[in-house]
Amino acid sequence: MINQRKDHNIKAYILLFIVFAVLLTLLDLKYIGDEYVRRVLNLAAIYTIVSVSMNLVNGFTGLFSLGQAGFMAIGAYTVAIFTVPLESRASIFYVVPQNPALAGIHIPFPAALLLGGLLAALVAILIGIPVLRLKSDYLAIATLGFSEIIRIVFTNAKTITNGALGIKSIPKMPTMWVFFGVMILSVAFIVFLINSSYGRAFKAIREDAVAAEAMGINLFKHKVMSFAIGAFFAGIGGGLFASLLGTVDPKQFYFTMTYNFLLMIVLGGMGSISGTVIASFIVTIGLEVLRFFDNPLTLFGVTIPIFRAGFRMVIFSALLMILVLFFRNGLLGQKELSWGMVRDWFGRLRRYKR
Amino acid sequence: MKRKLSLLLCLLMVLASFAACAKNEESDVIKIGVFEPLTGENGGGGLQELDGIKYANKMYGEVLGKKIELVIVDNKSDKGEATTAVTRLIENDKVVAIIGSYGSGVSIAAGDIIKSAKIPTMGASCTNPMVTQGNEYYFRACFLDPFQGRVMANYALQQGAKTAAVIMQNGDDYSVGLGNFFIDAFKELTGDPNSIVDISEFQVNDSDFNGILTNIKAKNPDVIFAPSSATTAPLIIRQARALDIQSLIMGGDTWENPAVIDVAGEYAEGIVLSTFFDENDPATNEAKVFVEGYKKELGDKEPIIPAVAALGYDAYLLIRDAIERAGSTDGDAIKDALNATKDFEGVTGVINFTEEGDADKNIAVIKTVEEGRFVYIDTVEVK
Repeated sequence: MINQRKDHNIKAYILLFIVFAVLLTLLDLKYIGDEYVRRVLNLAAIYTIVSVSMNLVNGFTGLFSLGQAGFMAIGAYTVAIFTVPLESRASIFYVVPQNPALAGIHIPFPAALLLGGLLAALVAILIGIPVLRLKSDYLAIATLGFSEIIRIVFTNAKTITNGALGIKSIPKMPTMWVFFGVMILSVAFIVFLINSSYGRAFKAIREDAVAAEAMGINLFKHKVMSFAIGAFFAGIGGGLFASLLGTVDPKQFYFTMTYNFLLMIVLGGMGSISGTVIASFIVTIGLEVLRFFDNPLTLFGVTIPIFRAGFRMVIFSALLMILVLFFRNGLLGQKELSWGMVRDWFGRLRRYKR
Repeated sequence: MKRKLSLLLCLLMVLASFAACAKNEESDVIKIGVFEPLTGENGGGGLQELDGIKYANKMYGEVLGKKIELVIVDNKSDKGEATTAVTRLIENDKVVAIIGSYGSGVSIAAGDIIKSAKIPTMGASCTNPMVTQGNEYYFRACFLDPFQGRVMANYALQQGAKTAAVIMQNGDDYSVGLGNFFIDAFKELTGDPNSIVDISEFQVNDSDFNGILTNIKAKNPDVIFAPSSATTAPLIIRQARALDIQSLIMGGDTWENPAVIDVAGEYAEGIVLSTFFDENDPATNEAKVFVEGYKKELGDKEPIIPAVAALGYDAYLLIRDAIERAGSTDGDAIKDALNATKDFEGVTGVINFTEEGDADKNIAVIKTVEEGRFVYIDTVEVK
């Protein structure tokens, strides 16, 4: 019986994936949707990568880290510095010329993306060794400070990053599969990681660090590992972000950016991958859908005065408050989305109707 | 409670569908998109610019016998948001041209999308050279930082200055860009590479400049050039005068803001700044009409007309003029018409476009502060 159900589930998952792949291919080949839909979805995919990586650290290992914007900046700048065509470098670095050691180097996008992730992970290990000895609030403050340091270093390293002026002309990706492919790979990697013995160690640390240590789990090693893997995927997300926007500057990695991702993981549920994925898409798409409130609205010949620019942010905040009040643990809490859960919802819905 | 909530959501959806219906009825309009930061870091400046654009739309609401409708989207001063906002304008609203945005960063991010969609775009006050660089569809109505830097260097020289110190805000592309262009121009004009005696940078949100200023005082420059935001400028001015620095203190267009005088008080007397236009000395006929009308429109909201509002107004008029001359709403036709713009009389001066699509303006206005008011000194023409 149990085997049968499992079998059925796997078939359903494969079916779901095929539907998703067909939809995405159709979107990608411009049969359905338009540039706007594609862009919003790409953005959502990137935000998913970063928020899932943040959930690994914050939700599964229980480390309250706020350094995600800094790691993204490392990935984004690596892609920006190495993939911009050589011929347009001089016109970008028009105030201070680029460092001659970097000016002649051009590497293809996949390599630069990977390098960005690895650099972010390396920095995470270096910063993690002293900082991960801290707990809760102190760790949050230290990582927040670190992400600001990264931003300020990038602002000042003018021969490398062009300082405040930023870098533009980063090559665009021709297909949505770049963003969604990397998203699927990263989410899959993190899911496998969490279900492995390492993942169980992470969760044990989250639940009770002392008990975990008593069971023979090397706290420090596992914390650094989770932190570095989280940073790696944040770096990858940052690199994709740079290529989607085509430009980077230090201002966009202000620490407020980290709060966007914190919002997504709290909304989806700390410790739920599927919840984080859903929340990332809801927040990104939702902000666009709510643009309706920014436009002046005329109803039966009466112009309603509160419908004006900025109103959508009010609605968005109000919706968040409602969500936090009614779903205290986020949409899914620590659970994962499963067929049983979907069935339950439909069942409840049917009962409610009756 | 849940039942009430779901009812409320249903109601909202019904409202949304009504709104969608209402929109489809109008077809005899030409849509021009406006993307500005209306919330976030640059929300204030974005709103001022938008007011100028809206006023222009009110005055010149028609082209080719059709009504012009402005489609306004907020870019939250955020790059990611700016790219989706612009894509939305192009794909959903099918705008024929775009105006915006305050802040160069968001404009650069939107540039590539504009280029591939071939939608002519007019920046109003984005002064970073990278906005229009290599993008034939991006134009702008303002002068560039190199020009402004040169104007101020010229003025300093006219005042007999031989040495200068520059203070810039680290991390701010406007401040760093303008500061560097001033340095280049000043060195070139004096012919002395040592004429810049000090270059200092401060961080965002710094409020104590005594360290930088003490250093500058020791070197005793004739002028201090400190392009910075209107919140930082009065602090620099106050602290410099408090340290008894007698040098001429100069800034860029951001200084033309009542906040500078309010905060710096009597210390603001004698500071010099360059700006886009002067309401007391209209450069063109269009400017006269604009100043009169817009003063009434503003009422008590703002004591002086913000320069970005005037630029927003010009940006709109330039686009409208190009559509009229192109005789169609085709992107390439409008772009060609914009390129062919010849001696267009805007509020901020006579406008032609360079090959890059930058306004080739020949005038900048120099102002100073006397008795707590901005006073016009000179209109500088630079060839």
